[in-house]
Order: sequence, then structure tokens, then C-alpha cells
Amino acid sequence: TKMAELSFAVICSSNMNRSMEAHAFLSKKGFNVRSFGTGDKVKLPGPAPDKPNCYEFGTSYDDIYNDLLKKDKTLYTQNGLLHMLDRNRRIKPDPERFQISKDKFDIIITCEERVYDQVLECLEARIPEENTPVHVINIDIQDNHEEATIGAFMICELAALLSGTEDLDNDIDELLHEFETKCQRNVLHCVQFY
Amino acid sequence: MSEQEPTVRERVVELLNTAAFLPSEKEKIATLAKVQELIIHLDPQLLDSFFEDVAAFQKDRNSDVRKFVVGFIEEACKKDVAMLPRLVPNMQLLVLDEAVSVVKRVVQAVVQLHRATLAWLAAARTTTPEMEQVWHIITTMKNTILTMIDHDNDGVRTQAIKFLEAMVLLQTYTEPDSVTREGEFNLDHVPLTLKVARPRKLEEEARMVLGKLLAFQGSIHISSVNLMTCMSSLTIIARARPQFLGKVVNALEILHANLPPTLTKSQVNSVRKHLKIQMINLLKHPASYDYHYNITTVLTDLGMSSSEINKAMPSKDSMKRWIRKDKVGE
Repeated sequence: TKMAELSFAVICSSNMNRSMEAHAFLSKKGFNVRSFGTGDKVKLPGPAPDKPNCYEFGTSYDDIYNDLLKKDKTLYTQNGLLHMLDRNRRIKPDPERFQISKDKFDIIITCEERVYDQVLECLEARIPEENTPVHVINIDIQDNHEEATIGAFMICELAALLSGTEDLDNDIDELLHEFETKCQRNVLHCVQFY
Repeated sequence: MSEQEPTVRERVVELLNTAAFLPSEKEKIATLAKVQELIIHLDPQLLDSFFEDVAAFQKDRNSDVRKFVVGFIEEACKKDVAMLPRLVPNMQLLVLDEAVSVVKRVVQAVVQLHRATLAWLAAARTTTPEMEQVWHIITTMKNTILTMIDHDNDGVRTQAIKFLEAMVLLQTYTEPDSVTREGEFNLDHVPLTLKVARPRKLEEEARMVLGKLLAFQGSIHISSVNLMTCMSSLTIIARARPQFLGKVVNALEILHANLPPTLTKSQVNSVRKHLKIQMINLLKHPASYDYHYNITTVLTDLGMSSSEINKAMPSKDSMKRWIRKDKVGE
């Protein structure tokens, strides 16, 4: 089907919640999808707002799971972190940082404006070689469990819309407008080149 | 070795025979991709024997198969310049393909073939009739692609913009502050004595093409995708060829003051954000020193604070170098 032909990347800051929720949802629906984070480190809530749990990208979901389990099982069960990490480790081994990835995509969907900016900054810094276009689209999603679920649903809707056309480059402006009207959300969009 | 070679050859023959009768285009492409791997990468000596068999698939009814052939031709010519005279004529038909997806892929490939051909001519001691022929075909295709900036299809226009960008970079000389890709081929490497492609004429053409890009960015009915593509292309050119910085900054200033009326509200937001990125990229370039006032005015207008702007400024050292150079020039 058309669905599997476009390659998607969903990106948030830590490649934990929003991008992974969308990654899980999209791959279940049969899309060709990967996920990334753009932050310097993987950040998760800790015992207090000023004491987050920080990990290097590349630390496996499994190791983070065990670390939190050891630190405070009750807290991290209650706030859903352990559940989230358990979900994540079933999808892929570890959080991936977008800036160091060499992979190419047709569509990149970011979950907040700051992440969109970081993705553009990274792509703009490279001099394109083959001129293959990649569309970068931002949809704002708050970083909590409920919003991530709604966000994944919307991203899936957008992905289906974009996969449904024969000529994406020609139709994308119109499709995004349609999506904005339907979902009552504003998107940012631009095209970059590999 | 004598045992190894027939095996690869036999595999290629078998794969080609299979490909011809596969009903599914996906499998056909996968099979041809195996052939490509074998004859371009594993045993390039076989390229000469089999390139025609692969290129023959350009008559396939499926556009994805034809698109694959375009990629094959590009790869083959990059691997071995001797393929240029044999395969460039095939591209002449493909550039007129009825499927836009094929046309877009051809435009991408011609960027590479154009550069490869000029490099081939520049490196040769004498220009053979064969070389002249290839250059002639490339020039014809180049002129076809130049008109695609007005194509009906938005995606084809996008690729045409990128083609024009590549033309300007190929057909001009670098300067001391040029930001370029490592190993980039351009006029620096073309001898002034080359008759078939005279550097002065190429440079003149590059200026004409830049004029086209500047005008295109200012057209009223430009789509938001192509507007942003054009802005990036002009910024890449300005950073790679600082002699054009003034023109580009000026065009972006004009754009900032007159965004196309056809953009939706969120497209305006996207374009303004894109403009900010381009302006910061220009500001970071030491040669933009003369235009700092113009650039920072636009950035302030786009909502950037002066501390953010200062952060993006190039180091005093690199600017000093520029101011001094300026004075020496006077």
C-alpha cells in the first residue's frame, strides 16, 4: 500500500513520551516510522521539579527502567514512568538523538516548536547533496501522558492524509491546510533537502 | 579469479532475465537494484557489458521502474565517466517523461551529470567530438530544466529551483570566505582555455540564472514550499559566493516587507520563521559585515531580542579581518 512507502520520523525532546506514543501508534497502523529526540540529554521527571532524572542518549530504555525501579518503585509506578519505559523497550532498544542520525526521511513530524527549530537548525547546517526533499511539520503537543495520546492520534491522522496522495510535493500545502481546519491546530511546515 | 568472474556475470544475466518477466514492479526494481550493485560496485568491469540492458528498462510502463533507471544512470556515470557518452542520451528522453515523479528524479540527476561532465571536460587534455556531443546534450537538457521554474507541478518547480542553485554554484568561482562542500567542483577547476564550455560564458549564465531565482522569489503566486526553497537556495548561494550577499539580503528584505498575499496564516508563520533562520545564517557569515544593519533590522522586526542577535554575530576576530580587507580594497 501507499502507507508503507513514505518514511516518517516523529521527534520530541527526549524520545520518551510524545514521539514514542506516536511511534507505537503509527507502526501499529502499518506506517514506516522511526522516532528521535533532539535534546542534549534524555530528561525524565524526578522526585522534585528541580531534580529531573537525566541520561545520555544511547542509554537503553531497559537500563533506565531498572535505574528508576531501584530509585523509587512506588513513585515511578504512580507517575506512569515505569509503564512508559516498559512500553518503549518493547518498541526499540534505546532513545535516539536526531542530530547524530544519518538516516533520511520523507516526512519529519515534531511535537513542539523548540524541537522543530532544532531539527531545522540541524538540517540547515548540512549542505544538500542530492536535493531529495524532506517535509518538516510541527504540531504542538504538551508533554504529558494524555496529550501524548491525543497527539499520536492526530499525527496518525496527518500521516494518513499525506500517504493518501499520489503527488505529495504538489499537494502538501493543501493537505496541511485541510488538516489544520479539521483538527483545529496550527502547524508549522517547511521543506529541507538531503 | 577466473572462477569468480563468470559467476558474477552469470548472476547478472540471470537477474536481468528474471527482471524482464516479473509482473510486480517492486520485485522488478529490487532485482534491478541487485544488478546495479553487482555491476557498479562489486565488479565495475561488467558495467560496460550490461549498462544497456539496465537502461533498456527506461521504456517500462511503470514510472517507478523508469525512476530507478534514472538513478542507475546517475550512479553509473559517477562511477565511470566513460559512461557519460553512452548514457547521457538516454536522459534526454527521460527528462520529457510524462510522469512528474520521473521528471523530478531526472532534474536531481542532471545536477550531478552536469557537474560530472564539466569536470570531465576540464580534466581532458583535448576535447573529443564525443565530449562535445555530451556537453551539447547536457546544455539542451539544462535549457529544458530552466523553463521548469514555470512548470504546472509544484514539486517540479521545487526541483527546478534546486537545479538553478546548483548551476550558480557550479558556474562561478569561489572566494576567500566561501562556505562550500568539501571537494566541490566549480569554475575554479575549469581552465580558461576550455573552448567548448567557456568559463566566462558560464559565469555570465550563472548571473542570469541568479537573476531568475531572485525574480522567482518575488513572484506573487509562489507557493509557500517554493518560497521557502527559494529563500534557502539564495542563502546557500550568498554564503558560498559572498559577492552575491548584497543582492540576496536585499531580496529577503523586500520579501519581508511584502509576503505573498496567497499565504494562509500559518504559512505566514512558517515563512517568517524560515526567514529568521536564513537571516541568522547570513549574519553568521563574516562577509555579511556590510549588511549587518539591514539584517538586524529584519531580525528585530521578526521578534528577535538584541542579545539573541548578538549571540549570532560572528566573532570580532573574523569581522576584523573583513573590515581590514575592506580598507585595503579602498
